[in-house]
Amino acid sequence: MRASRLALAAFAAIASLACNNSPYSEAESGEKVIYGAFNDAPRRLDVSEAYDVVAHSFTGLVHDKLLEYHYLKRPYELIPGLALEVPKAEPQPDGGVVYHFHMRSGVRFSSDPCFELAGPGVRTREATTRDIAFQLERLADPALEVQVRDAFLNVAGFEAFMQRLAARRQADPAFAKEPAHKQYEAVGGIEGVRTPSPDELEIRLTRAYPQILYWFALEFTSPIAWESVQYYDGEQGRPLFRDWAVGTGPFRLAVYDKQARVTFVKNENWWGLHAENAQSAPSAFYPSEGEPADLANGLLDPRYVGQRLPFADRLEFRRDKESIPAFHKFLQGYYDRTGIIRESFDQVVRNDRISPEMAARGVRLSSTVGPGWFYLGFNMEDAVVGAKGGERAKKLRQAMSLAIDSQQWIDLFLNGRGIPAESMIPPGLFGYEPETRNPYRRLDLARARELLAEAGYPGGIDPATAKPLRLSFDVYVTNTQQKLQDEYFVSEWRKLGLDIELKVTTYNEFQNKVQRLAYQVFFWGWSADYPDVENFLFLDSCDYRRSTVGGPNTSNFCDARFERLFREMRVRDNDERRLAIIREMRSILEEERPHIELYHPEDFLLVHGWLHNVKQFGMSNPMVKYYDVDPALRTSQRSAWNRPIRWPAYGLGLALVIGMVPAFVAFFRERQ
Amino acid sequence: MLAYVTRRLAYGVAVVFGVLMVLFLLFFTIATPDDIARRALGEKARQSSIDQWKANHGYDRPLWPSLSERGLRDNLLVDHYQRMLTFDFGLSDVDGVPIGERLARGAPASLALMVPLFLLETTLAIAVGLFVAVFRSTYIDRAGVFACVLVMSLPILLQIIGAQYLIAKLLSWFPLSGFAFEPDVIARFLALPVLVGVVSGIGGEVRFLRTVFVEETSRDYVRTARAKGASEIRVMLRHVLRNSLIPVLTRVLLTIPFLFTGSLLLEAFFGIPGLGGITVDAINANDFATLRVMVFIGALAFVITQIITDVSYALVDPRVRLE
Repeated sequence: MRASRLALAAFAAIASLACNNSPYSEAESGEKVIYGAFNDAPRRLDVSEAYDVVAHSFTGLVHDKLLEYHYLKRPYELIPGLALEVPKAEPQPDGGVVYHFHMRSGVRFSSDPCFELAGPGVRTREATTRDIAFQLERLADPALEVQVRDAFLNVAGFEAFMQRLAARRQADPAFAKEPAHKQYEAVGGIEGVRTPSPDELEIRLTRAYPQILYWFALEFTSPIAWESVQYYDGEQGRPLFRDWAVGTGPFRLAVYDKQARVTFVKNENWWGLHAENAQSAPSAFYPSEGEPADLANGLLDPRYVGQRLPFADRLEFRRDKESIPAFHKFLQGYYDRTGIIRESFDQVVRNDRISPEMAARGVRLSSTVGPGWFYLGFNMEDAVVGAKGGERAKKLRQAMSLAIDSQQWIDLFLNGRGIPAESMIPPGLFGYEPETRNPYRRLDLARARELLAEAGYPGGIDPATAKPLRLSFDVYVTNTQQKLQDEYFVSEWRKLGLDIELKVTTYNEFQNKVQRLAYQVFFWGWSADYPDVENFLFLDSCDYRRSTVGGPNTSNFCDARFERLFREMRVRDNDERRLAIIREMRSILEEERPHIELYHPEDFLLVHGWLHNVKQFGMSNPMVKYYDVDPALRTSQRSAWNRPIRWPAYGLGLALVIGMVPAFVAFFRERQ
Repeated sequence: MLAYVTRRLAYGVAVVFGVLMVLFLLFFTIATPDDIARRALGEKARQSSIDQWKANHGYDRPLWPSLSERGLRDNLLVDHYQRMLTFDFGLSDVDGVPIGERLARGAPASLALMVPLFLLETTLAIAVGLFVAVFRSTYIDRAGVFACVLVMSLPILLQIIGAQYLIAKLLSWFPLSGFAFEPDVIARFLALPVLVGVVSGIGGEVRFLRTVFVEETSRDYVRTARAKGASEIRVMLRHVLRNSLIPVLTRVLLTIPFLFTGSLLLEAFFGIPGLGGITVDAINANDFATLRVMVFIGALAFVITQIITDVSYALVDPRVRLE
């Protein structure tokens, strides 16, 4: 009797558990909450060191920048953020350039206990240009793992500051234990960074480098309070500064458990809440202009145009390491937006449009081609395929380029998520011209065979060995799908009679090969840090060769004419002359073929009907402050989509009991 | 007994030292500090950043001891042994978080998943094993064998995805994934992963235990007990189960290390922030410092459990003498 009561209680407990599938512990209120998922834990939140997409999607919510990007316009356009206007370059007689930033007043840090360092009860303070200068000094701090340091080496005195700091720390261990801001003060700051007043910042560069402005639209240059750096030291239950964020942005960090949950709430101190109008503070109001398609896509809805940002009260992110459960949770209505998993692509997208089933649930499809580029590269230091092989090698590269059909490859392996690349310049950037046709980026096997013959490899045969020319194709592969993708290229080149050996390597092996220059053909990609064509064309600059400086020019391409044009192009504004230079550089690459352009990746995003104003940005800058949500619609849809079906449990239990009865009867009869 | 325990402990220490050496060779000679730095900093990092990173993480020191006074102490091998044996695991290669702190945060979540899973699976496997042993050669026994073989044949990944789709998505009984250490909701989050863990593991357990129990029920003392009028429940629980404890204990105790290291797949798919998930993250992010620690912890738990298992034989069976 007691056992049966216990069993009944256990059953009741289990039944009570099985009453809802909500992944949230709290019930939904009327608050405007936006729900999302993240798969990888962000590495660090310290803006000096954070350099992964997930980290930027979080730090960008907390930290304001002097400059921002216009949410809707393409090509990307810089607009004032904390700065009152986008500064102009002021050339100096010594060849240097100065930028004067004027920061808006009334900018305050979000409320945080770190400010009690200034006095008991103090929870915030005004942010000034001195906080930006402090952050620039942090970028030069050798103790921090700053991956973008090279971009600031043009700031006068940046490297000297770094050396002074390192030398002083080495000479005086007690000095190294002082708070960072005191150390920086003691060594005298960065010569080219001046703050004449709390709202003025002067940046002096040793040479023209217009791209510096883009770095002021990234969190690397956000105002950072020295109090937050000093307070968050990992002692007495406080997190490390690299695991917390205090900024001046529209949201503040409320919960940070990077293995499971990250929560942001609206920053009640955000300057934008008191900004006067969209003319004086465009980054605090919803924009009134955009691309032509934005109107049709409801992104210029009069209900939102000119309205004060942000619309959401709270942002909830849950960690889902695996894409399949995350995607299903989106379908249940527990996430507001998601990417599309390969397994369900055909279910949700048909002919580049949302499927009728998804459309019936109010789901929208948004797609954008981001500033990225994937390619097959040739090692130009190699004797057979590289520059040392002269005209012969060039024709070989051209022939191999003509054998690859990017569109077919994209359709086969990416569900069509990408556009064939005619050059390295992706859409959305100045210099991208959709009508561009690369003469060597079309499938033409007949011409490819002719070129091979002209190169001295008729039918792909190497006269030196009387066998098919053998080339190695090095790939870093982590799964079977990637291997299949790479085998496609091999099979296409074999159609020319070439003997391509696919060398599947680990990441380390491949890096070692790159260091030893022991590679011929490889698969590579690049995502831009900022939307300027310089951030792509520098991949073929002599100054960035992997073989000489360990830079990102993995092809080791170096051409005198290209280099001269590159140096002229990178310091020019986006004008006709710059476009002409870009065209000339592009034609050099078309002819020289240091790489075979494959595709620009296209991101697809699914958005529920209750989430408004979502336009994919293409880069890692989070644009959540522009999103609005309808919580009432979400609540009703969630409850309609997630009603528990209980009868299978009862049926299963009953079947088990009934199934066992005959055996029990027989057993006890036998025992009798 | 004391001599035996001492000897087993000495073996254990030797195994741990050996594991540490293998770990060092794997993590420092096959993947050099340069490789570790490059993986941590990413593709765009320059050599100067890599050198700085190595210096910041102490990877710029020599791998092996040399004869000078400094060379004997200041090298990666000695540092590796020192850190592991004093449980001062240092910082993660990737995000700079103290690894000890990370373990302390992950262990409760892993235990919250693995302890109920272990208890439920063990209890259920013993109960079902005894049950099918009682009904051996009947359709219940055959159905039991069929069910066991079925769940053993299905890969756990398939069971996870299937359960998430069927139970969480179609039937809407439990959340697809998620976790919160809050008393009123934790059971809701753990129900499905525990269920999947039990189902995926119970097949092999039941097949093994059934064999043990069936063999035991054919012994003379069981027939004697039944002849004396003992009830079937008493026969199975008091006699058969007690006398089968050594193989049962061997099998059960060997699963204990996994309580600490967590379940890689269950934690990853159900969003449980435990040690299994930390291991998966470390693999994905090339966080070799964390990975070294996780492998070491797993090996240590295994060695300790082996010693406990050996000693426990004597406790459950007075005939066993440990000499």
